[in-house]
Amino acid sequence: MSELTFLWVLPLAGAAACLAAGAFGRRAAKVCALVFAAAFFVAALAALMPFIATHGVGLDAVGGAPLAFGVSYLLAADGLSLALILLTAFLNLICVISAWESDVSAAYWANFLALASALTGVFLARDLFLFYVFWEATLIPMFFIIGLWGSANRRHAAVKFFLFTFAGSVFMLLALIALVVAKHGQTGVWTWDLASLRGAPLGAAGPWIFLGLLLGFGVKIPVVPFHTWLPDAHTEAPAAGSVMLAGVMLKMGLYGLIRIALPLFPVYAQTWAPALAGLAALNAVYGALCAMAQTDLKRLVAYSSIAHLGFCLLGILSGAAQGVVGGGLQMINHGITTGALFLMVGFLYERAHKRGLADFGELANTAPWLSFFFGFSIFASIGLPGLNGFVGEFMCLSGISRSPIPMLDVPFFAVAGVVGVTLAAAYALPAYQAVFWAPKREGSVSGLVFDLNFREKAVLWALCGLMLWIGLAPAGWLALLEPSLRGLIQ
Amino acid sequence: MIGIAIPLPAQLLFWAPIAAILFGFFVMRPLKPEWTHWPILLSCAVVTVSSFWLAARVLGLYGIPGGSFDKDVLHWASAGKWSVDFGLRVDGPGAAVLAMVSLVGSLIHVYAAAYMKGDAGFSRFFLVFHLFFLAMIGLLTANNYVQLYLFWELVGVASYLLIGFWFHKESARKAALKAFMVNRVGDFGFMLALFFILNTFNISHFNVIYAKLALAQQQGGIPALLPVIGALLIWAACAKSAQFPLYFWLPDAMEGPTPTSALMHAATMVTAGVFLLVRSWPLISAVPALPPVVAGIGAFTAIFAAVIAATKKDLKRILAYSTVSHLGIMMLALGLGQVALAVFHLVVHGFFKAVLFLCAGNVGHAIHQPTANVDEVGGWRKALPWTYISFLIAALALAGVYPFGGFFSKDAILDAAWEHGGLIKYASLLISLGSAFYIFRMLFLTFHGDRPEQKGLKAHPHEAGAAFVVPVFLLALGAALVGLAAPLVQELVIAGWRGLPTSLANVSGVLNLAGSPLIPALTWKSQFGLSGAMAALGVGLAYYLTMVDAGWDWRWRRSHPALEALFDSDFYWKTFVGWLSGRVVAFARFCGRVLDKRWWDGAIEGSAHVSGSVSEILAGYSAGRLNDYLWWMAAGAALLLSGVLR
Repeated sequence: MSELTFLWVLPLAGAAACLAAGAFGRRAAKVCALVFAAAFFVAALAALMPFIATHGVGLDAVGGAPLAFGVSYLLAADGLSLALILLTAFLNLICVISAWESDVSAAYWANFLALASALTGVFLARDLFLFYVFWEATLIPMFFIIGLWGSANRRHAAVKFFLFTFAGSVFMLLALIALVVAKHGQTGVWTWDLASLRGAPLGAAGPWIFLGLLLGFGVKIPVVPFHTWLPDAHTEAPAAGSVMLAGVMLKMGLYGLIRIALPLFPVYAQTWAPALAGLAALNAVYGALCAMAQTDLKRLVAYSSIAHLGFCLLGILSGAAQGVVGGGLQMINHGITTGALFLMVGFLYERAHKRGLADFGELANTAPWLSFFFGFSIFASIGLPGLNGFVGEFMCLSGISRSPIPMLDVPFFAVAGVVGVTLAAAYALPAYQAVFWAPKREGSVSGLVFDLNFREKAVLWALCGLMLWIGLAPAGWLALLEPSLRGLIQ
Repeated sequence: MIGIAIPLPAQLLFWAPIAAILFGFFVMRPLKPEWTHWPILLSCAVVTVSSFWLAARVLGLYGIPGGSFDKDVLHWASAGKWSVDFGLRVDGPGAAVLAMVSLVGSLIHVYAAAYMKGDAGFSRFFLVFHLFFLAMIGLLTANNYVQLYLFWELVGVASYLLIGFWFHKESARKAALKAFMVNRVGDFGFMLALFFILNTFNISHFNVIYAKLALAQQQGGIPALLPVIGALLIWAACAKSAQFPLYFWLPDAMEGPTPTSALMHAATMVTAGVFLLVRSWPLISAVPALPPVVAGIGAFTAIFAAVIAATKKDLKRILAYSTVSHLGIMMLALGLGQVALAVFHLVVHGFFKAVLFLCAGNVGHAIHQPTANVDEVGGWRKALPWTYISFLIAALALAGVYPFGGFFSKDAILDAAWEHGGLIKYASLLISLGSAFYIFRMLFLTFHGDRPEQKGLKAHPHEAGAAFVVPVFLLALGAALVGLAAPLVQELVIAGWRGLPTSLANVSGVLNLAGSPLIPALTWKSQFGLSGAMAALGVGLAYYLTMVDAGWDWRWRRSHPALEALFDSDFYWKTFVGWLSGRVVAFARFCGRVLDKRWWDGAIEGSAHVSGSVSEILAGYSAGRLNDYLWWMAAGAALLLSGVLR
């Protein structure tokens, strides 16, 4: 088995092992999950190491003869793929550790490992059929995670999540099929191989195929106005589910855009860019405005994700080096920061079974560590320089302010982005103050919130340490990502 | 270029505070929180010595070789041709302000150790306080705009945490949020300016930008975006340095503990905006339309804030408006092209404003309050003799009375304004008069006389001890004598202002930057005529309206409530800003709760009958059967796929 196949099979084997271990009790399943999550993390790190040495140059690939209809088992990894896989493995491990004391069945752990496996497959696949299979396969474990272990309104949220993203992927599937058929019409060869699908004129079908791909990826990102599944899904999912959902699953949309839609259609990527950038700017501003209006802490973080992904999208569309690479880094940054925030909202919810801003108060006195880490992550999230969020935001917006693409170089997009940056403080800090600083109100559940234990602190130190590391010394991370993204740089 | 050895004192400026904060956080806070200040005070001492050593190095005093330097340390981020490096720049303006900040800041740290003793958040206070100090040091030694922005924001965060330090008070929470939000609105300008700077010059390093600009000017043109960049930087400075229209966060920021106010007003926060403009002066002065704007904002703010300061009752609030006014004077100096004078007044102001705030802290401490109203105090000259003497010296320095500090800086600025002519000429007279009036009104109301409206004599105030008095008195000595440092500051500014060698091949030798590095000599008109007369008039007026006509301050408030409301709302500017921010919040609520939730999401869910059909599906399917349903779905998709492909 090649190294790349091993990467996605390992967590899947872990999922099976967890189910099997479930026969020996919940503790056995839990231990099994931890072992496999840790092994997966080590494997992802080991796969990345050679790329760090070569600054992301080089490509590991697994090829195979076409199986049928031109479908073949093609995997490849570059800096972007491996960075996202490492993020998946890291957050997966964090999820397992942070949920350690919750009393859940073996299926819970199996679903997380299966999700990690499918996500890894998405980031590795270079055959579009394979990509689609992994893409859809992520939905199933996430559907169960939300629907079975979520909070009160979980079923509604799970089905809404499933239908929305499934509808999006139907468009994507149709577009992929049309692409393959059109290519067959031109060359007479059936192929789903991403590399050999590139660079051919597709005639009248072209715009429709591009649109289909955009819809599929746009729902996932999500781009306003296709975003309304996100607040519900994130809010109702269990904490670890939200972490994976926001941390990695939203990145699938951007990854698809980077890997498939934009490289396959470089002309449309330019001509449609102003409209897409307009939507991205809307994400950044509208997401922030909606976040300001939320009274539920988890919904607020969910809307902040919409705003943050607007920055990523602006950068990726810009075609300028700093924007594209910054957008790539911001994908990882958002995973870490929002992951940490969802985790901490989860800690609050575990203790007090409430999430409303008005349900808490004065936690800075009674839970100083939680208050410290939450403040740290909030400041990373709103782009305080020195922490990771700033690097991404700054590079994305710097890119869009100097885009080589016609009509993207107007100051409008950069100005809208900076408005979004300004508004970020207007939703994040009042929320922080309401939960941690303000006096307790009638019916406050702050009394139930005890401070973090050693395990929880260790997890958050890891996340916050990463925020600081990327914020102070992003150069190595950027160098890792740049070669994979060079195709999008004009 | 990267990794060139940095002189040890410049390294210590960072390593000492970082080590102290880490040690304080990880060792002292858990083990012995009431000792958190010891490593931090040690770090203050190291920083102060290092700063003075660096200032001496820039001046070439005592045979220290090297002079100014500007070196890159860290390759921060790059993509393609876009690249940002971080480094250290110790030059004249930086070293001059750094010396003041480290000395004044350290003495305030000493005061804070006594003032905050016994507070439940003692160790948290000291850690954030020192972070504030570190951020300002970083800001002053940054060698490029992006790095300056990094510390600029860190200053903002530290101030947020300190203003909101007593977060159980609603006023403190609101003030902290207001300060951060207004500064973010200012940062809006800074961040956009950064993008345009990077796009125009391909780099954000000061020395390269100066050189490229000089080159462009020699060739008879400036970059097209320069006016926009300049205007955005001025906007950013208006927020940080509390200038109209963004000044209004600063008076509320006194909600923090008094040492915070002292540090913020004297040394670490509000001076950052002026310093940004000093750093940017070659850019701004290259656009002829911009300097008059800076001068206009400065002069207007100086008068506006002085008028309001004269009507306030809260001691710290009077001082806050005084700071706004004096920052306006610094902006005025810059607008007139007097860079050295602006830096000099920044240094002098740091001394006397620290004294005034700490004295207000002592007065408040005597009645066990964080601050005091003039209603609550009065005639405390004998009860608080050391505080009184210190306050008097600082007030004389502020009013610009010879030979105290302010005379050499403030009056020189007003003299330059007088020479400039036009409206600014008369503005300078008003500023002089106003400053002397509001500070002596405060002095007389607090320390002299006794008025029926005041409850002051019923309390039994006394000095709180040496730790409260000694740092203040030392600072007061500084305020008295700092005027003598004018030649040194001038030398420093000349040394740095003439530029440092750049890596650009086609710009060789020394750059002559726009703006005067010379502190103008005071003319007889200024010394004896204008400023002296105006200061005397202001003091006299204050004496008459507080000591002779003792009830005047209370009388006009009673008889003219509308007038008091006018002053209270800063001529309705605060009312307008409150309305505006209320509209933004209302719009956000509409977006989030109505447009997004009810209309858009409601339409989607309603049209698809999602919620209805969902509950039907779920009602029928237990968790296990849902599994089947999903797998059938996947199988169906596969079947569909194979059908299409065939």
